[in-house]
Amino acid sequence: MPPVLSVKDLSVSMNGTKGMVPVLEHLSFDVAQGKTMALVGESGCGKSMTALAIMQLLPEDFRVTSGSILLDGVEVLSASPKELRSLRGDKMSMIFQEPMTALNPLYTVGDQIGEVLRQHRGLSRRDAHAQAIQFLKAVQIPAADKRVDAYPHQLSGGMRQRVMIAMALACKPKLLIADEPTTALDVTVQAQIFDLLSELQDDTDTAIVLITHDLGAVAELADDVAVLYAGRCIEQGTAHEVIARARHPYTRGLMACVPHLQLGRMSNHASAELDEIPGMVPPLGARGPDCAFLPRCAFAGAICRAQPQPPLDRIDAGAAVSCWRHQEITP
Amino acid sequence: MTTIESTAIKPDKTALPVSAAASPTMAALRQFARSPAGVVGAVVLLFLMLATLFGPSIYGVDPLDIAGAPFTPPDADTWLGTDYLGRDILAGLLQGGRATLTVGGVAAIITIVIGVTIGSLAGFFGGPIDTALTKITEFFQILPPLLFAMVLVTLFGQTLTTVTIAIGVVSWPSAARLTRAEFLRLRNLDFVKASRAAGAGNGHLILLVVLPNALPPIIVSATLAIGVAILFEGGLSFLGLGDPNTMSWGLMLGQNRNYVLNAWWTVAFPGAAIFIAVLAISLIGDGVNDAINPRLRKRG
Amino acid sequence: MNLALHILRQVANAVGLLIAVLVLNFCLIHAAPGDPALVIAGEMGGASADVIAALRVKYGLDKSLLEQLFTYLGSVATGDFGYSYYFNAPVTGLIAQRIPATLYLVLSALAISVVIGTLLGVVSARKPNGLFSQGVTIISLAGYAAPVFWTGLMLLLLFGSVWPILPVTGMTDVARPKVGFAHVVDILQHLVLPATTLALVFIAQYSRLARVNMIDALTADYVRTARAKGLPEFIVIGKHALRNTLIPIVTVAGLQFGHLFAGAVLVETVFSWPGMGRLVFESILRRDYPTLLAVLFFSAVLVMAANIITDLVYRLVDPRIRSGAR
Repeated sequence: MPPVLSVKDLSVSMNGTKGMVPVLEHLSFDVAQGKTMALVGESGCGKSMTALAIMQLLPEDFRVTSGSILLDGVEVLSASPKELRSLRGDKMSMIFQEPMTALNPLYTVGDQIGEVLRQHRGLSRRDAHAQAIQFLKAVQIPAADKRVDAYPHQLSGGMRQRVMIAMALACKPKLLIADEPTTALDVTVQAQIFDLLSELQDDTDTAIVLITHDLGAVAELADDVAVLYAGRCIEQGTAHEVIARARHPYTRGLMACVPHLQLGRMSNHASAELDEIPGMVPPLGARGPDCAFLPRCAFAGAICRAQPQPPLDRIDAGAAVSCWRHQEITP
Repeated sequence: MTTIESTAIKPDKTALPVSAAASPTMAALRQFARSPAGVVGAVVLLFLMLATLFGPSIYGVDPLDIAGAPFTPPDADTWLGTDYLGRDILAGLLQGGRATLTVGGVAAIITIVIGVTIGSLAGFFGGPIDTALTKITEFFQILPPLLFAMVLVTLFGQTLTTVTIAIGVVSWPSAARLTRAEFLRLRNLDFVKASRAAGAGNGHLILLVVLPNALPPIIVSATLAIGVAILFEGGLSFLGLGDPNTMSWGLMLGQNRNYVLNAWWTVAFPGAAIFIAVLAISLIGDGVNDAINPRLRKRG
Repeated sequence: MNLALHILRQVANAVGLLIAVLVLNFCLIHAAPGDPALVIAGEMGGASADVIAALRVKYGLDKSLLEQLFTYLGSVATGDFGYSYYFNAPVTGLIAQRIPATLYLVLSALAISVVIGTLLGVVSARKPNGLFSQGVTIISLAGYAAPVFWTGLMLLLLFGSVWPILPVTGMTDVARPKVGFAHVVDILQHLVLPATTLALVFIAQYSRLARVNMIDALTADYVRTARAKGLPEFIVIGKHALRNTLIPIVTVAGLQFGHLFAGAVLVETVFSWPGMGRLVFESILRRDYPTLLAVLFFSAVLVMAANIITDLVYRLVDPRIRSGAR
């Protein structure tokens, strides 16, 4: 069966004051029905841009410069605005990082969920309202028939994210993109949201692209992983393989930041602990042809400085890595 | 950096804060010079000020003298024509600008002094003082400012001083609200607490610690207050409430307005002078705003 | 909070402030140079010695200030704002006569400026650096800086002599009085220029405000969400972004009602519109203080009413206020 989503050689650039600056370079991955692909990396690595490129909702200054995005066999990049509108919310949908701001404060959650159904399923206002209650129940919001008429500010952060999920899944999309869906939430709530997502996925067979820097979540939810650094994919493979045998020094660094990963516990503030990798992601425009991780890499050697960053090197069926020294590093 | 942060990419937590420029005033001036609107406004206003300052002696026509037949259209002798008494319009504009611009400037100062005093006391002390001062501000806000100024000038006499004070007295509430909001925001910040802990008195805290940090929006509103005051002066004079003995742009408009259908130039030029002055000032206001609020610059 | 209770509280607050306006009026009469009796009669009212003597008794001008204040408040409470010797009529009646004309003018100017201002702002926000947007910016700068009485005079010049397609003075065609529907059309025609003149100032401000807020709203997360749902652009803009843009406009429009009213005074003078503003101009000319002070009071009443209505509209538009979350 062909994958639900097939991203090939995707590059995104920002049209800045100094011309086109690459934000994302040559990313490829597939997601099959019912599977979860995790995009992992620090802030500013191009994860969110990948998501927005798939949705074709890139901010004004950003452009897709190469590649192809096939959703269920349809090329998203060449779709007309009208075709895109019929895809968004129906075939593919997205939940965002900040449930506080992603919902319109001036409309009830029922209205905002119902809107999708009215748009794509042509439901009447009344039917959409009734359906909205069903969806709120599905995302385990208690007293759904009352909450449906609540405004976002009357709900907790976790509830709002559940509403977002209900909204995103209302039309049973083939693809759900979840952009750091739990970053803004309390730790206990984070686990609930991830559990909910995986339950709903079992029911609906939706393909999920999960954007996160939480390797704990990856271990629990993802089937495949792509690790991004400074807009480049530096390691890719099955979640099991990457977690068990991380080959790239950056991935290893990320793993080291999650001390209890092996015990299956989740880190609460992975980003804060990421400081354990010294330095920071090079800013846009300051990314040369050589390995972007070089200045921060504890394993950097002469070959790394002499050669440009290597392409993703497929090691076996379940893993690929972009590192000159991965063989020496990997135990 | 800023262009990137405003989009979907999160700011990097490890990034260092942008280091402050050596002198904020110089940096702001440099920023201002980069705003074309602000520069144009400043140049135009400077030109108007110089024209009203030196113009009358250079042009050499007394604005109160009869320079020709009443309602002479603009021609080679009287460039902008004459009014209903035969007085030279250009001479009137050059002379009248002094009063109009002075009233604008002084009334704006009064507005800002009253507004900042009330707003800073309310915002700094809070509690019953705030409640009382806010009530007073609210009270002044329900009186339509121009109408209130009309009543004051009618009752207390039509002199330039009364007009100036009346404009100042009716226009301060918005400055007070703005200052209060800034003080409320600033008073609990760490650097204020630190000064307080170091034993600074309230007067010191208000004037030397909080006020300087509240200045940027106050400066913008002061600039705009000049424009509003000029419009008010024009409105009062237009209704016959200006000082009848002092030539001003509003007075010229008011005296000639009944003849607009016969002699458009008697009304068009004084009004245009007010328009250009206020436009220049609001352009400066925009420029100042851009200079001290770099965050908003891109939005325009 | 309970809505009825809230309105009640607002009204109580308004009444307090209005009493304060009366006290201010009283103080102004006594602070003004000259004999208060003359002030009350109006300098040019041509009041006789008898009238002055009667005023002294009526307002107890020989008693203490505090007693005088209560006498004044007492007479106001019965709806007596004094007598205009110039118009030879009780002030209250004079004002009641003029309020409708002023309300026609002010409300139509308000409606025009909010609708057109929002429209211009919203359209220009779609392409903030485009030609249309720059045009709107220039118009808004110019509209703000042009003195309203001058704009009025220039329009009067344009439609009075250059291109006489609209009536330029008064509220009705005095030479040819009309009845019924024709009367309404007549008033509307006379309303066009004054209302447009007054609206221009506020169109300038609201288009600017709408533009900034719309640009903000268009970058908001909830607008991105709306697009991610596949909603057509007219719903994204017209429903999700617009309502958030309207909130600050409603607030500012309410706050500026006093300015709108003051602008009406000037516009009514230019176009001889028979409203309260025209009354103000005439009473200034005749030093008719009772009328002037009563107009100040009634304009404060209108501003208060506008504030209360704004507050209610605000609650209607923004659910966060309704439940007291902000």
